[in-house]
Amino acid sequence: MSESVGVDNLIELDYVKIDGGQGTSKANSAKRDLCIQHVSKSFQSKNGSVYVLEDINLEINQGEFVCLVGPSGCGKTTLMNIVAGLEKADSGDVWANGRRIQGAGPDRVVIFQEAALFPWLNVIKNVEFGLKLKGISGRERRNIALEYLKMVHLTKFQNSHIHELSGGMKQRVAIARALAMNPEMLLMDEPFSALDAQTRWILHYELQNIWMKTKKTILFVTHNIREAVCLADRIFILSTSPGRIKKEFAIDLPRPRDDNDVNVAEYSTRIMQELKAEIDKVVRCEMDADSCVECDIKCTSVEPAKTDIGGGI
Amino acid sequence: MYGMLKRAIFFTLLAGLWQLLFWLGIWPEYVLPSPVSVCKTLARGFQDQSLLIGVAISMKRIAIGYGISLGVGIFVGLLIGRFRIFEDTLGSLISGLQTLPTICWLPLSLLWFGLNDRAIIFLVFMGAVLSIATGTDSGVKNVPPLYIRAAKTMGAKKWKLYLEVIIPAALPHIIIGMKQGWSFAWRSLMAGELLIVCLGLGHLLMIGRELNDMSQVIAVMMVIILIGILVDRLFFMKVERHIRERWGLVKS
Ligand SMILES: Nc1ncnc2c1ncn2[C@@H]1O[C@H](COP(=O)(O)OP(=O)(O)OP(=O)(O)O)[C@@H](O)[C@H]1O
Ligand SMILES: [Mg+2]
Repeated sequence: MSESVGVDNLIELDYVKIDGGQGTSKANSAKRDLCIQHVSKSFQSKNGSVYVLEDINLEINQGEFVCLVGPSGCGKTTLMNIVAGLEKADSGDVWANGRRIQGAGPDRVVIFQEAALFPWLNVIKNVEFGLKLKGISGRERRNIALEYLKMVHLTKFQNSHIHELSGGMKQRVAIARALAMNPEMLLMDEPFSALDAQTRWILHYELQNIWMKTKKTILFVTHNIREAVCLADRIFILSTSPGRIKKEFAIDLPRPRDDNDVNVAEYSTRIMQELKAEIDKVVRCEMDADSCVECDIKCTSVEPAKTDIGGGI
Repeated sequence: MYGMLKRAIFFTLLAGLWQLLFWLGIWPEYVLPSPVSVCKTLARGFQDQSLLIGVAISMKRIAIGYGISLGVGIFVGLLIGRFRIFEDTLGSLISGLQTLPTICWLPLSLLWFGLNDRAIIFLVFMGAVLSIATGTDSGVKNVPPLYIRAAKTMGAKKWKLYLEVIIPAALPHIIIGMKQGWSFAWRSLMAGELLIVCLGLGHLLMIGRELNDMSQVIAVMMVIILIGILVDRLFFMKVERHIRERWGLVKS
């Protein structure tokens, strides 16, 4: 019963077909909130160039919640940094709210894996930080900050210092700080990955509520598929070396969703299969062939080169 | 509390030993005065305000010299820490100058400023500025890049980025440089005041010597030590601890 529901709701789109048009004109991109066009990026290293991103095309509508999922090292953070304006793409354009982005700006606030709160300021002053840069007066600043602290349920801690907060509380302050800027979109780079399962569960719930209330466009990076299914309208799967968008999934489940919901679990399993091939690929090119003998990872695609490790350690 | 008790007993014993040596009368009084007469000199110095005036004059000099070096040192440290060109040029100049004991600037200082306050203030400045600059430099280099990225996405640019993020983030290192700079400045202030005749605590020391008044010499030395301890231990150590705790660098 539940199986059929899950499969019905999971709209799987072949990404190549979507992008087949290639006709993303500027007029079209202006209506989108975020438009990534033909973005490529490589890094120079000692062993030559590493192609991290290759021809990434993405369009995100206003108020959409989009998750990027991919194996470690596939370039999720790099793409996020390019969208944020913290890094430059080698080629291609990124349009945000109809304008080509040039450098970082307060219309696209990033929430990092570690909360990146400033320890020399207390909680409320941290939330006020961006507002102060905008030149908003003291009284008004305080009111806005309080409003968003209330949204993440932390008004009680407004005068606390950062080192007195738990990891989950810090991340909530970071969310309040980002929201207080009233940005066009939120860019979240694995914001909850350092947290324990319960805290993450609470924050998933809170984030969905905040999103439904504020209708911000959110680009959310994670390597946790279940997290992606729980949060996203659409999920993009990135392949690795070089990073390309491999598949797109639309998740059409009622909100707020629960991590442990049966449907969420079912979607995750299906998407996981998609990702499995990519993870295998990472294992194959990153790890030594004989590492499979030592670890528990069952990577079927890798043949151990040597079995003789008896006197190794 | 226990530590305080130990310390109190130790210093009482030390004073007792001193008094004992005095009673034995091995050395004449102008070589080794009694603790009692040193205390009397101290009390007299505070009563007729000669000591207080000396302290005030010395503190004024160090306040001016240290204040200037704070501004210059942080500015120079920021330049060195953020720009390669300044690191290669100014940076190497500063690390070279650091090997020079501050008092070696005295001849130059006398030539530039003459026998006056400004020559001493220059010594104080030279004593502190290098440490503060290198402290700021290492602080700036150790600012977590994450702070800067976060600030940039919130719209921090140019001097606001420095003022609101880089300097505060570098504070734990800056305060270490300030502490070291203070102790160098205090030493060079005393050296300068010993050599240039114009009031101040160092000058009071020299007067004691000229009058063969050993108890004045020791009394002034005690005041110098006391001020050193007050500033170093009570002020800088507290501030440093507080900052390190706030910045999450120690477990409280
Ligand atoms: N500054 C850099 N110089 C050289 N190579 C880099 C640089 N930054 C990232 N890379 C490389 O780019 C690739 C992608 O890195 P990125 O941080 O974007 O991955 P990610 O998908 O965010 O991974 P994770 O899930 O582990 O965070 C990696 O192989 C990494 O080695
Ligand atoms: Mg990453």
